[in-house]
Amino acid sequence: MAERILVLAEQLEGQLTDVTLELIGVARRLAAPRGSTVDALVLGEGVSALAATVPADRTLLMEHPALRLFNPEAAQRALEAVARETSPWLVLVPNTSLGMDVAAAVATRLGWPLVAYCQAIEERDGQLVATSQLFGGKILADCPVGTDHAVISVLAGAFSSEAAAPEPPARIERLAPPAELDGLRVRAVGLERPEAADVDITRAEKIVAVGRGIESKENLELAEELAEGLGAVVAASRPLVDAGWLPRSRQVGKSGLKVKPRLYLALGISGAPEHLEGMRDAELIIAVNTDPKAPIFDVAHYGVVADLFEVAEALQERLGG
Amino acid sequence: MTLAVILKQVPDVVEELAIDPSGTDLDRDSVSYVVNEFDEHALEEALLLREATGEDVVVVGVDTTGELDQALYTALAKGAQRAVKLVGDVEGSWLSTRALAGLLAPVIRELSPRLVLTGVQAPDDLDGQLAPTLGALLDWPHTGVVVGTELADGLVRVRKELWGGIMLDLELATPAVLGIQAARATPRYVPVGRVRQAMRESTIEEVEVETPVESAPKLSRLRAPEAAGRAEMLTGSPSDVVERILEILRARGLY
Amino acid sequence: MLTTPERIAFLLLALASLLLTLRGVRLIVRAIGRGYGRPSWGVFLRRVIPVSLDILLQRPIFRTRPLVSLLHAGVFFAFVFYGLVNVLDLLEGFNGYSTLHASGVASAYNLVADLLSVAALLGMLGLLLRRFGLRPFRFNRAVFLLPSVRFGISRDSAIVGGFILLHVGSRWAGQAVRIAESGRPDWSQPTASLLARLLGGLDAATLAVASHATWWLALGLILVFLPYFPYSKHIHLFMAPLNLILREEKPLGRLEPPVGNGQLGSARLEELRWYQILDAYACIMCNRCQDVCPAHGTGRALSPAALEINKRYYLNRNLNRFAGGTTSPPLLETATSRAAVWSCTTCGACVRICPVGNRPMLDLIDLRRSLVFAGDELDPNLQAALESLSRYGNSFGKPARQRARWARDLPFPVKDARKEPVEYLWFVGDFASFDPRMQENTKTVAQLFHQAGVDFGILYEDEWNSGNDVRRVGEEGLFELLAEHNLAVLGKARFRAIVTTDPHSYNALRNEYSALGLDVPVYHYTEVLAELLERGQLRPSKRLQAVATYHDPCYLGRYNRITAAPRRVIRALGLELREMPRHGENTYCCGAGGGQIWMDSGGQERPSEQRIREAIALGEDVRFFVVACPKDMAMYSDAVKTTGYEQRLTVIDVARLVAWATGLIELEREAAPVSE
Ligand SMILES: Cc1cc2nc3c(=O)[nH]c(=O)nc-3n(C[C@H](O)[C@H](O)[C@H](O)COP(=O)(O)OP(=O)(O)OC[C@H]3O[C@@H](n4cnc5c(N)ncnc54)[C@H](O)[C@@H]3O)c2cc1C
Ligand code: SF4
Ligand code: SF4
Repeated sequence: MAERILVLAEQLEGQLTDVTLELIGVARRLAAPRGSTVDALVLGEGVSALAATVPADRTLLMEHPALRLFNPEAAQRALEAVARETSPWLVLVPNTSLGMDVAAAVATRLGWPLVAYCQAIEERDGQLVATSQLFGGKILADCPVGTDHAVISVLAGAFSSEAAAPEPPARIERLAPPAELDGLRVRAVGLERPEAADVDITRAEKIVAVGRGIESKENLELAEELAEGLGAVVAASRPLVDAGWLPRSRQVGKSGLKVKPRLYLALGISGAPEHLEGMRDAELIIAVNTDPKAPIFDVAHYGVVADLFEVAEALQERLGG
Repeated sequence: MTLAVILKQVPDVVEELAIDPSGTDLDRDSVSYVVNEFDEHALEEALLLREATGEDVVVVGVDTTGELDQALYTALAKGAQRAVKLVGDVEGSWLSTRALAGLLAPVIRELSPRLVLTGVQAPDDLDGQLAPTLGALLDWPHTGVVVGTELADGLVRVRKELWGGIMLDLELATPAVLGIQAARATPRYVPVGRVRQAMRESTIEEVEVETPVESAPKLSRLRAPEAAGRAEMLTGSPSDVVERILEILRARGLY
Repeated sequence: MLTTPERIAFLLLALASLLLTLRGVRLIVRAIGRGYGRPSWGVFLRRVIPVSLDILLQRPIFRTRPLVSLLHAGVFFAFVFYGLVNVLDLLEGFNGYSTLHASGVASAYNLVADLLSVAALLGMLGLLLRRFGLRPFRFNRAVFLLPSVRFGISRDSAIVGGFILLHVGSRWAGQAVRIAESGRPDWSQPTASLLARLLGGLDAATLAVASHATWWLALGLILVFLPYFPYSKHIHLFMAPLNLILREEKPLGRLEPPVGNGQLGSARLEELRWYQILDAYACIMCNRCQDVCPAHGTGRALSPAALEINKRYYLNRNLNRFAGGTTSPPLLETATSRAAVWSCTTCGACVRICPVGNRPMLDLIDLRRSLVFAGDELDPNLQAALESLSRYGNSFGKPARQRARWARDLPFPVKDARKEPVEYLWFVGDFASFDPRMQENTKTVAQLFHQAGVDFGILYEDEWNSGNDVRRVGEEGLFELLAEHNLAVLGKARFRAIVTTDPHSYNALRNEYSALGLDVPVYHYTEVLAELLERGQLRPSKRLQAVATYHDPCYLGRYNRITAAPRRVIRALGLELREMPRHGENTYCCGAGGGQIWMDSGGQERPSEQRIREAIALGEDVRFFVVACPKDMAMYSDAVKTTGYEQRLTVIDVARLVAWATGLIELEREAAPVSE
């Protein structure tokens, strides 16, 4: 009992994703007190170099042409076969676009319980408890995890990736792909990356949003520079778009676009309800406004009561310097 | 041939959610239900496919709320051809995904559709998403996070969103199960008049199902996350503030 | 006296002309008859006399454009009188009866005919000059016009103008000829006598020919013109009065349910109601409606005039087929555009201004109904609002339970009108309940009522959006749903009267719900406030020494003629009220109505911004832009910023001013006004 934890490593075109390291970090933390070992399953084709950077106790490498690009059926078959073979007490899968296809299917086929959307795994009164985000994050569910096989799909970004840096695993074991991989009903055709040229603020990870506090079109340059320094795109409240300073595709809010970036830096935006409607779901909102009573501070996580120009310039200095 | 769309009613997360004294479920009396928003997209995608290929759209659901009719009639008003309601001793209960898939699988098999479309996820699918679960039970090809579909001979081409705008194009042999993230168009609006018309003019087929033995997701307790509250104010000189901001960004891997 | 062949010729011509004309008229009647519903003879009998009097006094057209209206009045009175003149001239031609050199009544008749001829000639020249010289006839470039319209309007004007000039001119010249023939001036026809002096040198034979020629030009021309008449805009002579007479005295704020069996709304001409087709024939293409239309005024694709004109020109060209019952193309291909349909704010200005009683707005609403019912793609924000309304009963996407959240912050409990009887049931409205900017105001109203000892209560989460704008967006089923719910809840509550903070709800409750069975007095809060102030239940302790202007909300001022109460309140506070040029029933729309608040107007200047400029133009000293509608508060507090006048002008709800004057609140947020 309590022998192995199996982590499904996620890679895209030979690149390990952050969430894989996060999962391995958790797996290690859970393995240590139990004397378990951490297996990482790497699926792909021509990815042996990558396998050599996965910091597990044992990296299981399975290569097959069907695994070159992500193929949900192939990945599911592969993970299922490995899980049957190694019989881990815990399987960790990222709750990403790729992992989602695999986790529930494999758990169902194995008849193992699954906890999805997991954001925390803790020991409580001698019992391992996985906590999931449900109902749009409004409710957390604590789920007991037994030691007799379980699958957990983990939200990306929920755990620190620093617990596991890329380093060679203790052991690499090459696995033969299961026979099913030769008779798949799903074919991966290709990947398409977004064009860099057109800015889609709904897809942007970071947004520097400016409002009337910016005062003039000329000052937009400051925002552009700042955005560049942060790797962000510039968006705006409606008055700026109305004034023709920015195209309508950059407007956030009720009559503009709804955005959900990881960072929303609001400069000189009062936070009118029409505006808030479009951005309140951002993961991190930092607002700069001279008015301490500005409603934007009701939704922001961090607020700065200051002149946006001073803050922007200071920030620009640090970023550019 | 048909396209099956699975609709599920879920607690409306816009409303305040209260936890039942048992601590393992929501207070179902105060909950109001809506169709899972991703399921709405699944229906829209099916209707778009129908417009292109002329397939019939069948909406299917398990009535756990006693209010599923409304959702089914709405789907009929939007352009679905048939509605099938699974009824049994499941009203007011929180069905786990696996129990739900277990109830649906035989009915879906019977319908033998070309495609099954449902929402990529639901606010309450604690034990995983429906599409891969059902796909595994039926042993049909499946995938989720789909943002576009196209039917071809014996297969369906789908566009799956990964992250940061990266798209993966897949071909699945039909029948297949798809978890729809976003339809190619905003789910259409259906005027109330049309829904009322559907209520007068169409019928919902009912299928009696056995109550699954272990139907609820396994959990020890529900709780509310700690309140976020108002912004934490950063004070000091501009450079102090900037320092703090960068620290916050760094901690989140944003800088 | 005509010769016998001339008489026969005239009679034959008259017969042919009448037959042709009749055919045209019959086609028109059949065309109008294709619309839904039928005119009510009861209405006709009730209204025929008073409305005819109105028309004789030219009252409907004098609402704007005094100069043009005066010219029109000249032509009109001449025309009416000329009816008599033509009959007498006909008599003269056939049996020689003449009023020449007559005395008594006949000489008075001569004088009037003579002077009117000149007035009509001058008036007509003036109107033609205006149309062809000054070219006031303009549409926004985005406005859809049938290709035949641009040329057609001018041609029609030219034909009719030419006809009138020729007809009146010939008659006038004919009189001069006859005076010349008689050899002496007729003092009862001074201008014709003057002209006759110029003819003095002509010999008798020439004069005789001229007498016949002018008679034929004056009266024969009518016969030639008559068959053209049904295709000309001058058929408004008959259709406009008919339109005005047959118009039922229903409040403008009460819409009829959509027509159609199963297929709701009107997508084609024949799917309109009969009077909407009649509108096209009554229209005189004066563009008055376009001039007051906020959508057209802000450069959008909508012109209510173009809509009617297109309908008319479509009918002109396809009258035979249309009257015969063939299916016509969609109105969106012949009369207007989607963009136009969705830019109407349902402000009602076009309806109010139209001199012939047309209601282009109703067509637009019926078109919306058909688009919504047919599942046409909606503006995404509008769709979100409708979805929220059907799910939560409000457009804010907020749970119904949060509707009365604002009441929690009050120092006193607000009665639940579902549970206990109240005197006033306060129908708060969506914006006042949910918009954070407006909630402050709503609390203020509650405090004022409380302070004045008003017994009031609210419906908490059971108040749903009244559906006023939902209905005007064309979502009839949702309107019914909302109305049914509200009526059921109101039916169970016990109260004496309803008071509402929202003009749109006011309109729905008073005009729409009453048609669905609600029978209680409905007041706007300004009416209640005015009364409380006048009865001394609210006592201002400070006087506001400032100049204010007041914006009449369309649904209050124009639709329901509540213009005095808010002004009574403003004056009671000591404010000096300075009116904007467009006020009262002629108010200008803020741009939010008819569901526009849920749609994106895109780019151009907004009506609300024009309105702020209108207020600014009243003078430096105008300090307050007073509103009495929560939507106005949203629109104008935004517009005052975007126009850059927020330092000069403070947009404020009338209730906030009252509360300040009674010492209930300080106006720090709105910047304190100067006080005594
Ligand atoms: C129907 C409707 C739809 C709308 N849709 C949208 C929409 O989609 N998106 C949208 O954004 N708006 C929308 N609006 C407009 C909205 O109501 C607000 O007017 C708008 O969001 C205000 O923009 P703002 O915050 O940039 O400007 P303001 O409200 O003027 O705020 C400017 C802020 O900048 C601060 N400031 C000024 N100088 C400085 C400085 N030097 N340093 C730091 N802070 C400073 C001020 O304190 C103030 O808080 C809509 C309005 C209506 C009525
Ligand atoms: S109701 Fe108002 S906006 Fe609509 S057409 Fe008439 S004037 Fe224009
Ligand atoms: S509808 Fe009325 S106001 Fe408009 S152009 Fe015709 S007659 Fe004039």
